[in-house]
Amino acid sequence: MSAPTRTWLILIALTAATVALAPLPGLAAMAGLLAVAWFKARAILGGFLHLRAAPGWLPALTVPLALWMAAIWGLAALAFT
Amino acid sequence: MDIDDLPGELIMWILIASELLVFAAGITAMMAMQLTDPSGFAAARGMLDGRMAALNTVVLVTSGLFAARAERAAARGNRQAARLALLPAALGGVVFLAIKALEYSRDLAAGAGMDSHPFFTFYFLLTGFHAAHVIAGVAVLGLVAIRARPDGVQAGAMFWHMVDLVWVMILPPIYLIGPAS
Repeated sequence: MSAPTRTWLILIALTAATVALAPLPGLAAMAGLLAVAWFKARAILGGFLHLRAAPGWLPALTVPLALWMAAIWGLAALAFT
Repeated sequence: MDIDDLPGELIMWILIASELLVFAAGITAMMAMQLTDPSGFAAARGMLDGRMAALNTVVLVTSGLFAARAERAAARGNRQAARLALLPAALGGVVFLAIKALEYSRDLAAGAGMDSHPFFTFYFLLTGFHAAHVIAGVAVLGLVAIRARPDGVQAGAMFWHMVDLVWVMILPPIYLIGPAS
């Protein structure tokens, strides 16, 4: 299996995970949805955009992205609890 | 970590980082604004059809697969195969826009206008700005298909993956993150 096909299958599986999580209530489900989105972003950056082959650059983008998603979760938690 | 290790042109990475920051700023502003009216935002968000967004995710990532295949074919010097892969990649963008247009028409028919609630102002601005990038991306994929040179196809594919990346990033806060999730 080629690398792009593998990345695509991961993205389709993660989209299915999003659909499964979407109806669930609560802060844990919100965190799960954002975590799945983070894994999708990581798959695109690492697989389609080849950052997996560029030492250090994948975490350079995905770590700030994780921090931002944590902030989004925090704002949602403040709004809905 | 060396700047020379980055794949493709540096200017594309500057563009990708800039776009991510712009959309992240818009989403953060929306989530902060939600604190002033959580129930109103939740009710407005509840009017959206998440199934259409999920379908569009499948369309966009599948289109991304063809863009990635085009990039590999161009890198191998197979211009014809690159063009053949760029066609479904661009077609995916057109399908995405058609689904988005259908979604907008349903939103508007349900009374969800730009001014009906602050959530919808953010919704139409952010998804509309993203759709504008999809239109630009379809045009870019068409342009790079003409000569199908490896560097051009790579830049076009990078732009397309950026459009994909922004979509997966903005989807949960716009469609899914609410009291129901």
